[in-house]
Amino acid sequence: MMPDLEALDERRKTVVKRRTIVILVTLLGLLLTTVIYINMDASKQDNNSVFYFIILMAAILITGIIIGGSWARDKTFYSDFKKQVIEPIVKFVSPDLAYEPDNFVGSDSFQRSRIFLNRVDRYSGDDMVHGKVDKTQIWFSEVKAEYKTTTTDNKGRTKTTWHTIFKGLFFIADFNKHFQASTVVLPNRLGRGFLADFFKKMNLSRREKLVKLEDPDFNKHFVVYGEDQIEARYVLSTSLMNRIREFKEKYPNPLYLSFVNSFLYIAIAYRKDLFEPSYFKKLTRFSLVQEFFEDIQLAVSIVEELNLNNRIWTKQ
Amino acid sequence: MEGFSTLLIVLGVFVLFAILGYNRLVRLRNMAEKAFASIDAMAKKRYDLIPNLVATVQKYMEHERATLTEITEMRAKAVSGNLSDNEKVDLDNKISRAMGGIMVAVENYPDLKANQNFMQLQGSLNEVEEQLSAARRAYNAAVTDYNNACQMFPSNVFAMIFNFKTKRLFEISERERQNVDVKSLFN
Repeated sequence: MMPDLEALDERRKTVVKRRTIVILVTLLGLLLTTVIYINMDASKQDNNSVFYFIILMAAILITGIIIGGSWARDKTFYSDFKKQVIEPIVKFVSPDLAYEPDNFVGSDSFQRSRIFLNRVDRYSGDDMVHGKVDKTQIWFSEVKAEYKTTTTDNKGRTKTTWHTIFKGLFFIADFNKHFQASTVVLPNRLGRGFLADFFKKMNLSRREKLVKLEDPDFNKHFVVYGEDQIEARYVLSTSLMNRIREFKEKYPNPLYLSFVNSFLYIAIAYRKDLFEPSYFKKLTRFSLVQEFFEDIQLAVSIVEELNLNNRIWTKQ
Repeated sequence: MEGFSTLLIVLGVFVLFAILGYNRLVRLRNMAEKAFASIDAMAKKRYDLIPNLVATVQKYMEHERATLTEITEMRAKAVSGNLSDNEKVDLDNKISRAMGGIMVAVENYPDLKANQNFMQLQGSLNEVEEQLSAARRAYNAAVTDYNNACQMFPSNVFAMIFNFKTKRLFEISERERQNVDVKSLFN
């Protein structure tokens, strides 16, 4: 992988160089025209404003073409990066996994998970990985879901604001037990105590009801809602609760899980963009490859950590 | 006159609280009873599997004949009905223990371990075991809520007036807490 990385890093450097030059030239051009304009006699300015306008337009057009051209080239840099770096890492983690850089977990799956109940107005993602880990089929990708709000001020202008519902890694696995009712495990944001319990119970937006589990360490991290009190406990066996808690303690990012129609959905929120190269960091650093490896490994390791291959129940 | 209306208001508030408190206690008790009923349902599912298990296993197992007969007898007693809740629980625990013993003994019979029929049965048993454990945990959660209401102020006052008694929790055995990994026993 190293020669590929070196070649890619060269290209990254030229991309950065090209961008810097474009920005500098544009700034210089703007500065120059402005200086010329200001230095003209005030009387001539009226006549020359047309001339100035034409120059400005030409400058904008030229920079537009240059930027557009470099974007197109950057795009191949992106896709080559994914093909030459991310894909081999995925294959290294497990040869049975397939990688599709432009694909992602669909919004229907995202909504089927019942983790986030907001209306989704904009949905995007990339870096889909799917395949079988031993006996368990998995799918995961980076996704971003948003909803919008529109406000109208007293002058009648409308303003649209986008709010992020979720950004990060979205993971689906074929769960090792059969079940019908949905169970949702959310981060515990209210803490513990009488008042917290009261508000947890008051979650009216959900059709699932609060499930009080007996493991205090688990309850410290999570709140559980389920349609069926018994099935929620069937799915969340004591050992699975332990495993989820251990997983959570290893990775501090907000963790959401849900069990719907015999599938397990996991959402791990990230601030950073996953599996993307940074233009301002050297690609040949080992830590970079390591970081990508760890992000992919984390998703794949869920199967192992939650013991999903253990199929001692009727579901094979 | 004014003293009288104050008294009336106080009495009205008390009656209102009594109604709310009573209804809450009834609701919680019903939830606990419903949870107990589902334990019963799961236990029945397990009883249904026992004859199959015995039939499959006894061809192979020479030395465990006595245990198998014992299990069959206990099952017959369990499905015959007319047992109190406590008796049911005790019998259930005994059956669990005996079946655990059988599952460990299977280790000595490689032919049995490879038997397709047995493997299927084992999957069903694990499933029922897990559902049973889930039902017990759900029952305990419901009973904890109910017991809290019986013992905490102010609902304990109404519990005392209307004679609501606290219920006993299921003791989750160490084995269950560990969550039976039967598969590891066979590998």
